[in-house]
Amino acid sequence: MSNAYEILSRYDPEFPRKRAGRLLTDTTEFMNIQYGDVIELDGTYFLVLRDEKERSFGVEDPKYWVKRCRELHTGERKILKLVFYEKFPVSLGSMEIECFRSPRKEARILDLVRGDGRFMQGYSRDDAAGNNVRVLDVVQGELLSLAIDRLEADHKTYFFELLPDILDKFAEACRAIGFLHRHGENHGDIRRDHLWIEQGTGNYVWIDFDYTYEFRESPFGLDIFGLGNLLLFLVGKKFCTTFNIPRPGFDGLADVPLEPGDFTLLFRNRLANLRKVYPYVPRTLNNVLMHFSSASEVFYPSVDELLEELLPCIDEIRRRRINT
Amino acid sequence: MDAKKILIAVDASENAARAVGYVADLLAGSSGFAVTILYIERPPNRDLFADEASWIEAGQAQELRIRTFLQQAKTTLTGRGLAPQSVTIAYVPHCQSPVNDAAAECSLGTSIARDILQFQQRGDFGTLVIGRRGVSRAEEFLFGSVTTKVTHLAKDCTVWVVQ
Repeated sequence: MSNAYEILSRYDPEFPRKRAGRLLTDTTEFMNIQYGDVIELDGTYFLVLRDEKERSFGVEDPKYWVKRCRELHTGERKILKLVFYEKFPVSLGSMEIECFRSPRKEARILDLVRGDGRFMQGYSRDDAAGNNVRVLDVVQGELLSLAIDRLEADHKTYFFELLPDILDKFAEACRAIGFLHRHGENHGDIRRDHLWIEQGTGNYVWIDFDYTYEFRESPFGLDIFGLGNLLLFLVGKKFCTTFNIPRPGFDGLADVPLEPGDFTLLFRNRLANLRKVYPYVPRTLNNVLMHFSSASEVFYPSVDELLEELLPCIDEIRRRRINT
Repeated sequence: MDAKKILIAVDASENAARAVGYVADLLAGSSGFAVTILYIERPPNRDLFADEASWIEAGQAQELRIRTFLQQAKTTLTGRGLAPQSVTIAYVPHCQSPVNDAAAECSLGTSIARDILQFQQRGDFGTLVIGRRGVSRAEEFLFGSVTTKVTHLAKDCTVWVVQ
């Protein structure tokens, strides 16, 4: 078949002829690939539906190198990540590091985690120009952070009734990151936007592994810090900050003296010492959180060491729930 | 361990140059010392490059910079009176180096600090010298520090940290 219309009329006869675009085997010019185009990859056809968008602070930011597609043969929704060698500075509080997008890294991790439900699934193929295109399954579900945000329980109820089960699943997500580390890989961009709850199973699923940076002596430190940030979000049911703590709707103690050492190492307005505003947070769990504070003298060198201290805390919250 | 066998662990940084300068000043005109200037290769991260050719090119540029630094370091030491035969250069390649062939002794790249200490133990170096740049605690937590790890893990030798 020599053009997109022929392919579409075979696999999707209802598709309007006037919307049929080009048949592409080279995805280098990803900015020009749009709705109605068909990408051929190793004999498989993908109808381009739209550019993927990243949503933050209510603003949609199009990712032109990420295409929402339909695999024409199977009808399945897929995400095609095209090659975009982007180099950009990422601010981590007061620090700035240089990050890169690496298709090669993501493709390698997709191979490593094939069949492991704790990670997004997919495969990679080179297009005719040698661009490494990643073909990803769409994770059915929603962002963990949005699901947590939507819970209507007050913090104390959330903490004792819901958090232990959430932390069990988070611990599994941490083990998944530990699995990457044991294989010499890192996630590279652990944050709220990259952890989903899978519909049906309720499992936590990591997405987007293409970030990388120059490694130094602790190649996994940034991942562990990302896990710490997520843990702070989960325990607090939000990030407790100098912005929201003084507000009338804050559901913890707002009139407690807070010191610089109570806040996180990199985000100086984000509280790590959650026990100060939620006094029922057990000391043991608070101690784990304080490893990510600017007052900490030690940092978890591995996911295993983080889990070693976190797991007993989950049981402790459960025991306290029964006692209260 | 022989305290007069001195190992200076370097990269091509100013801190490493300071460490070399310190040893040169300290040993100026002395005899009976054997100094080895050690570099453990840390090639550019392969994932940052679109293709093999650009990665190799970056590796070559880095290697040239490092080898130039090592020669300058030797010149600094001999220029202060150390006998040329008492100053040795050791370049330990990465096991998957883009520019150096596989060697019997190579670095896996998992920890430069451990590689340095392994070299020190095997070579019976009683003194280990290393530079230190002033990193913030945040940076040290997130990315680690070779110098900090060396000082924590070193055994049976004296470590001089030059800042």
